[in-house]
Amino acid sequence: MSTYKQRYEAGDNGLRFQDLVYQGNFKGMDPVPDGILGDKIMRSRAKSKVLEKVSREDVLRDQFTVDELNDLNNYLAWNIWDVLVMRATEGVSGMIPRQEYEILAFMQEFYRWPEILQMTTDEIGAKGVMDIGASARREIGTKVNCVHDWCIGAVGFGMGRCGLLALEAIQPQDFVRESNTILKFMQRVLWGKRQDGYILNSQDRYRCQIHDQDVIEKLSGELEYFEYGSEKHDAFVRFNASAELLSFLDHYDCRLGLGDTGPYPLGEGRIMIIRDLFTNEDVYDWSDVCDHEKVPHCYSLCLVIDVEKMGLDEIRVNDISTTFTRPKNYIEYIVGGAVFVREKWDTPMGEVYPVKVADLDKRLEGIQQATLKLYSKFSKMPRRTLITNGMYVYYIDMILPHLRLAGTYEKACKDYEFWEVDQRVANYYYDIVKRGFAQATVPQKIFSGEGYLPFPDNVSLNRSKYFWK
Amino acid sequence: MSYVAEGYNSFETKKTPSGVVKFLPDPKSVLSLIQSGKLKEHILLVQGGTTTFLAPALSMGAIGIITMSGVPESHLGILSREFQMPCVMTAYLVGSDSRYVTGGNNDAHFEAIIKALDGKKVRLHCEDRETGRVALIS
Repeated sequence: MSTYKQRYEAGDNGLRFQDLVYQGNFKGMDPVPDGILGDKIMRSRAKSKVLEKVSREDVLRDQFTVDELNDLNNYLAWNIWDVLVMRATEGVSGMIPRQEYEILAFMQEFYRWPEILQMTTDEIGAKGVMDIGASARREIGTKVNCVHDWCIGAVGFGMGRCGLLALEAIQPQDFVRESNTILKFMQRVLWGKRQDGYILNSQDRYRCQIHDQDVIEKLSGELEYFEYGSEKHDAFVRFNASAELLSFLDHYDCRLGLGDTGPYPLGEGRIMIIRDLFTNEDVYDWSDVCDHEKVPHCYSLCLVIDVEKMGLDEIRVNDISTTFTRPKNYIEYIVGGAVFVREKWDTPMGEVYPVKVADLDKRLEGIQQATLKLYSKFSKMPRRTLITNGMYVYYIDMILPHLRLAGTYEKACKDYEFWEVDQRVANYYYDIVKRGFAQATVPQKIFSGEGYLPFPDNVSLNRSKYFWK
Repeated sequence: MSYVAEGYNSFETKKTPSGVVKFLPDPKSVLSLIQSGKLKEHILLVQGGTTTFLAPALSMGAIGIITMSGVPESHLGILSREFQMPCVMTAYLVGSDSRYVTGGNNDAHFEAIIKALDGKKVRLHCEDRETGRVALIS
């Protein structure tokens, strides 16, 4: 017997997925838990209305006020903690120096993105940015998704500014104008995508039901149903896991390679999750092994879950596009599925095609071979190359889908040296490995939400940074 | 039944895989194990909770994993669940007070676990919602 629908009732506070609590900038106040209750508390502490449903006119306004900036900063800090605090425990990879490349990417993004996002906004207008978000409502296999859109603000602004504050490279009053540029771009994309006034899934009890009904109906028309333990169930689950693994690997062990939306109710005690698995990103030179194995840009899977058999108590499609459930194991309760292929990032929706579950074996072989070849390639790379590549995955990929759709990617490369590393960040390479900065300070300040210092109340919205010492 | 180690359970499952624990210190050892054809004879012991390090082992059908850091929300936790591969995370020795500390120096902690488990035949028990357990078989 499932109880998950109770989570969508106004008075319900949701379940707790972890024992830890968040403090952030609210010293002396009650700590904040994870989940639906955490969202309610964080919104109740906001000074402005920016965390409530906002209108198109609000989103089109040029700038946030200082109160709105600080409310977004505090909420994103909690949201980051909510989805990532437990990840801080995962330690070193043994393969890819992720903590090191992450912190460098955060800072590079905060320095470089503002002018590129401003240029893009100038080219297509604020409405054009909102249209980029809206495009995700009618597409699958698009990287205009929760995790990419969230990263613009949560990572580029939030973690980037937090990392530079922790490194004492900047002060809380610096880069106000640039922060506004990044956050406005994020708000416009996310608002355009959701179109319910909210920007984040956590504001909507962890739902991301963005697809139009006719899109859902078209996709569900290709569903095949099966039983747990059947050959079809095993084949589908194995394919999902293997494609997901390659997506992680191609994106240097980060979540930019996958994107869930949903849950979409199907009736008869069933829900559907739509999962994009980006198995081959052609801007990465290491993806050549995926080309050799004829692995497409994206496999999109529809997963149908029997919530009654599972006894589902809560489902969260969080803002980094990942689904978590209680009970944790939903795989046994997948009773139907469909697989779609988008060969290239710009393949028209009309050319996206389904693959029968019985025909997945050959494709699975390609995925496994690409995984092995990619692993073998990475295992021979020097640490510096791994860190540089990982930094590119974050810094380039997080806004790549938006620039592609805006038609400004080439301009960013040519006129703004998009793929170049800022000299300040290049120099930080040596600082981040000292005194455990990447291994200890970053998890403490960034993932635990301690380092997101507010902008001063009376700071000018035009404040940038001209004086370096 | 007596358990030698326990930790976070990546997901609840009735599967109880058994095998000889093999500690994998680097990518080379992962590739060697794949090439040996003996992947399914081992429960894999690794330091981190990230997923790329074990990528080919996951892809080729490892039977069970023990990690010394990470949680079910970590990438390896997510992937072990997707593969339905039992996984005990941030394992610690039941008879010891030593625990993994995020961002700390955990070298002695890791060494003690490797010494106690590497080469031993064990069975994983992951029926509980929260805790995964490691039992010595012989």
